[in-house]
Amino acid sequence: MRIAITGIGVVSAIGMNCAETLQSLLDERSGIGTMHILGSRHTELPVGEVPLSDAQLKQLAGIPADEPMPRTSLLGIIAAREALQQAFGSPSSAFDFRPSTFDSIAFISGTTVGGMDLTEQHWQDYHEGKATECIPLHEAGESTNAIARHLAFTFHLSPFTLIATPSTACSSALNAIMLGANLLRTGQTKATLVGGAESLSLFHLNGFNTLMILDHEPCRPFDATRNGLNLGEGAGYLLLENEEDAIARGATILGYIGGYANTCDAYHQTASSDNGEGAYLAMSKALNMAGLQPADIDYVNAHGTATPNNDLSESAALRRVFGDKMPAVSSTKAFTGHTTSASGGIEAVICALAIQHGFIPANLNWSHTAEGLIQPVIHTGHRPLSHVLCNAFGFGGNESSLIISAKGIELSEATMIQLPNEQINVQMVNDEMVNGFVSPAEARRMTPQTRRIVAAARRAIAESGVTPEAIVCATQWGCMAQSMQFLQDMLARNEQQLKPTPFMQSTHNTVASTIAILTANHGYNATYSQGKQSLTCAMADIRSQMSLGMIRSALVLEFDEQVEAWDNVLGNIGDCTQNIARATIYKANN
Amino acid sequence: MEQLIEQLKQQIIEALNFEDMTPEDINTDAPLFGEGLGLDSIDALELIMLMDREYGIKLADPKQGKAIFASVRTMAEYIQANRTK
Repeated sequence: MRIAITGIGVVSAIGMNCAETLQSLLDERSGIGTMHILGSRHTELPVGEVPLSDAQLKQLAGIPADEPMPRTSLLGIIAAREALQQAFGSPSSAFDFRPSTFDSIAFISGTTVGGMDLTEQHWQDYHEGKATECIPLHEAGESTNAIARHLAFTFHLSPFTLIATPSTACSSALNAIMLGANLLRTGQTKATLVGGAESLSLFHLNGFNTLMILDHEPCRPFDATRNGLNLGEGAGYLLLENEEDAIARGATILGYIGGYANTCDAYHQTASSDNGEGAYLAMSKALNMAGLQPADIDYVNAHGTATPNNDLSESAALRRVFGDKMPAVSSTKAFTGHTTSASGGIEAVICALAIQHGFIPANLNWSHTAEGLIQPVIHTGHRPLSHVLCNAFGFGGNESSLIISAKGIELSEATMIQLPNEQINVQMVNDEMVNGFVSPAEARRMTPQTRRIVAAARRAIAESGVTPEAIVCATQWGCMAQSMQFLQDMLARNEQQLKPTPFMQSTHNTVASTIAILTANHGYNATYSQGKQSLTCAMADIRSQMSLGMIRSALVLEFDEQVEAWDNVLGNIGDCTQNIARATIYKANN
Repeated sequence: MEQLIEQLKQQIIEALNFEDMTPEDINTDAPLFGEGLGLDSIDALELIMLMDREYGIKLADPKQGKAIFASVRTMAEYIQANRTK
């Protein structure tokens, strides 16, 4: 099967749509500047904001002013709508001509922030029993559902074949694209709308600030003087379908999915390894899947956050893959800022635009070369591109690479969906059982519930004798104890003097990556947050990969934790959190 | 100075969540990073925050921490000389 891209949509600090984004890239116009919308006290930090308030975004998205909607969802709606429109025409014309693909679309959208912005704004309200309709939207998966509901209504879509929210921090959107492609290759859907959305939040602005990796000047990826990243926000989506279907309905094909891979660096929660092992593996596996040689790649859109550590580690990985024949490389984060979970979606759209219009985007603000760093392309240049590679790396060493190609690349298919064989299932109920599986030194940054899931995972691995080729976590609320600790501390201390550890441990993917780091597992690593459907999403992922022969075994983790601070909020809507820690090893049937 | 060192050890244990350790377990002159307690870059950030919260010392550049956090003694000496509270 050849997977065609027939629609793209994007919103970020450099444009509200593809046309504006393209113009900014060609004009080398950055969107990074002074903070106007977020309302943080840290106005000394430059950001890549979408220059519209929530009220203005609602107006643009056609949403009533009083309807509760996270900013992440608003950005997502605007970008997803553009991708659908490009693929199928405007909602009214799409309704007149209804291709079969239209009745079978999966929506896979990565985010980590979800509705954290609403929780920040309404924290006090919640404790006074107000604004309670916003509470469910805190969940990453529910912020995706909000986008899905709006799209289904506007475009008169049939129910989505699957709605899933990969939440692996800054690689989330690329992982969404991978799941979408796998669903197509296994015939589980006719089309898939894939990418990610993320708004700025006080939570992660302050979180990255505690890590001391935010530059107070515009960021300078791969420059000797780089001193950290600037955060940005936005959304980016691609509409993917079988090339045959696209041709049959006369759609314009913008490019193709060539290959992809996700690996774990298995090194540290927030630092990348010196030799870029995870990034090297991700790029190599993506090339291998596409059947391409390194020399076939014309352009690399690097992760290139401009932190001292990322750019050095990514340069090492690029050298290992490409040797002396380095293709043109640039990071577009000096245009958009680091849009975290949305970055893979936004940058995949930028890669598709680059192929479509034959140009290589500039790596802005670069002027000083340094030992060990690759030398990026400093000005936007026009040239035809055959294959481009896009990187997105997240906390926990979650490394993803995607190849987008001008011509179709044949990818293997599976007609039979495998039902994985359950090997062993460990549920941690007794803290006595934790001892022996987690040492005190390992446990010091873990919550009691994290210790239980890590112990369950280790026991499942030990008793099954299986080294899992994938570690996939399903969680409704994510690492809520650490999230709530950081949030409450941030609000109480007025965004000052915050501890980095709770933020570092707060991402949804912390559990899956912690286990990968502790067991030195460089395999596939992912987390889904989709309410009570989280496990369904995780299983859809491993089932697809097993059917395609991409993995032969998997460790599936079900995780949630009881948190009093959040129960006090959830009580308003008759809900509560619960402790879940279950680890299951699956093997492929063949 | 000895009193500050004892207090600092307790604060380090709390800041870095060494639940089962006591101040006696930390050698005043042993390296904090590398061998010693096996601390990493996040611990360095926690120690920077500890100095900010407890002693009113702000470090703008995390790289400065390397020399200051060589041992509990060097950290205590730096605090003694630069504390604002």
